[in-house]
Amino acid sequence: MTDRIAIHTAGLTKHYGDFPALVDLNLDVEKGEIFGFLGPNGAGKTTMIRTILDEIRPTKGIATLLGMDSHQQSVEIRDHIGYVPGDLAMYPNLTGRDTITYFANLRGGVDWAFVESLADRLDADLSKKVGDLSSGNRQKVGLIQAFMNKPDLLIMDEPSSGLDPLVQREFQKMMHEVAADGRTVFLSSHTLSEVQRAADRVGIIRHGKLIAVEGVADLRSKAIRTVNLYFDEPVVASVFEPLPGVRSVEVENHHVMLSFDGQMETLLKVAAERYSLLDISTHEADLEEIFLTYYEEVSA
Amino acid sequence: MLATVFTKTFNDRWRGMAIAVGSLIVGLLLAMWVYSGFEASMFNDLPEVFRSLMNIPENADAAAMSVSVFYGFYGALTLAGMAIAMGAASIAGEERAGTFGLLLGNPKSRTHVLVAKAASMVALSALAIVVLWGAAYIVAAVLGVDLGGLNVVAYAVHLFLNTLFYGMLALALSAWTGSRSLAIGVPTGLMIVGFIGVGIFPLIEGWENVGKVLPWHYLDGSHPMTNGVSIGHLLVLLGASILLGATALLGINRRDLRSQAVGTTLLDRLRESPMTRKIVDRLAGSMRVSHIWIKTVSEHQGLLIVTAYVMFLIMGVMMGPLYALMDTALFQYADQLPEELWAFVGSAGSGMSTPEGFYEVETFGMTLPAAVMVVAIVIGSRGLAGEEANRTMGLLLANPIKRRTVVLEKTYAMIALAFMVGIATWTGVWIGSMLGGLGLNPANIAAASLLGTMVGLVFGSLALLLSAVAGRTRVAVFGTIGIALAMFLINSISILNDAVESIASFTPFDYYLSNEPLTNGMAWDNLAILTVSFVVLVTAAVFSFDRRDLRQSN
Repeated sequence: MTDRIAIHTAGLTKHYGDFPALVDLNLDVEKGEIFGFLGPNGAGKTTMIRTILDEIRPTKGIATLLGMDSHQQSVEIRDHIGYVPGDLAMYPNLTGRDTITYFANLRGGVDWAFVESLADRLDADLSKKVGDLSSGNRQKVGLIQAFMNKPDLLIMDEPSSGLDPLVQREFQKMMHEVAADGRTVFLSSHTLSEVQRAADRVGIIRHGKLIAVEGVADLRSKAIRTVNLYFDEPVVASVFEPLPGVRSVEVENHHVMLSFDGQMETLLKVAAERYSLLDISTHEADLEEIFLTYYEEVSA
Repeated sequence: MLATVFTKTFNDRWRGMAIAVGSLIVGLLLAMWVYSGFEASMFNDLPEVFRSLMNIPENADAAAMSVSVFYGFYGALTLAGMAIAMGAASIAGEERAGTFGLLLGNPKSRTHVLVAKAASMVALSALAIVVLWGAAYIVAAVLGVDLGGLNVVAYAVHLFLNTLFYGMLALALSAWTGSRSLAIGVPTGLMIVGFIGVGIFPLIEGWENVGKVLPWHYLDGSHPMTNGVSIGHLLVLLGASILLGATALLGINRRDLRSQAVGTTLLDRLRESPMTRKIVDRLAGSMRVSHIWIKTVSEHQGLLIVTAYVMFLIMGVMMGPLYALMDTALFQYADQLPEELWAFVGSAGSGMSTPEGFYEVETFGMTLPAAVMVVAIVIGSRGLAGEEANRTMGLLLANPIKRRTVVLEKTYAMIALAFMVGIATWTGVWIGSMLGGLGLNPANIAAASLLGTMVGLVFGSLALLLSAVAGRTRVAVFGTIGIALAMFLINSISILNDAVESIASFTPFDYYLSNEPLTNGMAWDNLAILTVSFVVLVTAAVFSFDRRDLRQSN
């Protein structure tokens, strides 16, 4: 069992004084998967990452990475991981190449041909000083240093911030290659579309508590759909709000947009009885909507 | 307090200034308490020229000496230093932090921002000096001391304009270049050269007027504490400050703003040159990042160059020939001064009539430990807390290295830089001694240099420990400086007071010049005590850093 688990936490809790930043977090991330860790700002994502990386110590609970204790064997663990911190900061007076060299020296065993290939793929300029780079280009240097040792576990906190769409696409490919290689990616983000594209499973955290862990496909199969109804006259939201399965209603003159997981027949019946229905469109809800739905449920 | 640029700048800086002013007042209180037990007549037999040089008023109460020493010496240097820090931070500091562009995103002109920051510096300096002025009278009244003929108000006015001048110089350099290190380095260098120059040049026949080109001359050249204000000297300082303020306005409105905190080091410049690129590329590139300690040393090359330059050339090489030129007859009087007075400037009191005594007062007494301390405290505080504040510690520790490795590598960097300053001092003094024909023993110079270096390292390791415990740069810097000043004061007045003497052995300064190493060579027991203290503090830092949560930012 443990051979298959890349990250395991049991009752992981972190308090800052009286403030519970992380509460009783139980999570297993399997090897070879891309795991998305979702939550709004301040939910506890970064605290969780900093705890499992032994930057900060848990108030209680344990974490193991690749079968090793996150505190007792932290140095051995770091031999096998790559890390991109959120709000990445590096040494502004070093060039990108110097920065990579520095971390490669500390780590040892880095293949420079691979570093060059990563730089090519991300279109990174390693000759400029980090302080002279734009945030996106600085992020590329951060990604290279995380990928360069072909880690067994990649832990990344908001890794695609500042990257342009082309580079983001390449970065997605790189993550999938890692997973295809049997290695693991732990991707923390509040950019849901990024996680939606990359992740196999998603954990949702709020106020330090893990409120759900689901496969991306399972989440989608919860059948929350976005339904757009168009009428020949202005409509009011109160007609649709009481219907079973309606999670949210937005009305704009002749147009109603519903977040809906109930019986379509009931909805259409009410719509047709009250108004003259001109058009209808429906599509699968994206993670953004599912995410918001979860939060509404938990906060309700 | 955050309503305007003026009030925010004031708010950012008042705590540091309050700590500095508070330390000066506590020092004044202690000094006045100790000096109040002295016979008033002890200075009366000194020749006029020497009383004038030492800023001793006629028929001075010995207690009044404490005001002269504390405000004229520590106060002037501290306030000018604070003003330099404010002036440098005002523009270059905001650029370095990346906040200047944000500030100008609001409907405020560059002129508005600069004037607001300058006004804040002026207001804070003025407030500090008013507090110091009032404290002198309050402390004197509490201790029942008569300040006699001391004109504290006149000195306060000179002190204010002197402070203003250095602040404005830093502001002008900051506004023109955007380089914080340049804006700190140049005025600080000028201040040190001025401070030393106005003390030494009058002692050299034919050079008496050379000191007048130095701005520091206009602080105390007219002896305002005894003679009242000198309108001419005040106008020089005021005129220069206004000119520098206008220069700053011109500079900030003419140049492109810096977008990031990227400094250009000497190695960077050499790296850009085709002639030196190949070798320097290796030195500045792969070698620079081969180990944490080498990278740390490289990051502080500017600080090292300035400090080593001052200690080698100015405090080392130049002092020998200067001593040879001086009227040593003056030193006969100096030697008559009680050792208690020398104690206040960090000398063991071996007198200045010998080259060893002269170098001990000028180069080794306070200067070498202070120079090493600057370097060591910077490394000690920035090494851990600085990396946390810059958010690079997490990335560094994501590599397979132990936390203790980081602490130890930072310690190696501190040792390397401190020893470079020590070696620069040793070679400079040796060369100075040879040029002046003074005949100092190189082994004894090495002994004094090593002991001074170790004193600086002990305080550097204290900064490292505070940095490891608190993770805050400010705590490490101000905590260490505060403790160092307190210990220096305790050590200085220990020979004056039995109660203090018993605790002086807990200060590193007690193990520095007490054995007069320039004359008697190395005191191995002193070296051992300083080394053990250093090792103990570093060990404590290792354990402290291993046990706490990393901070995300300061």
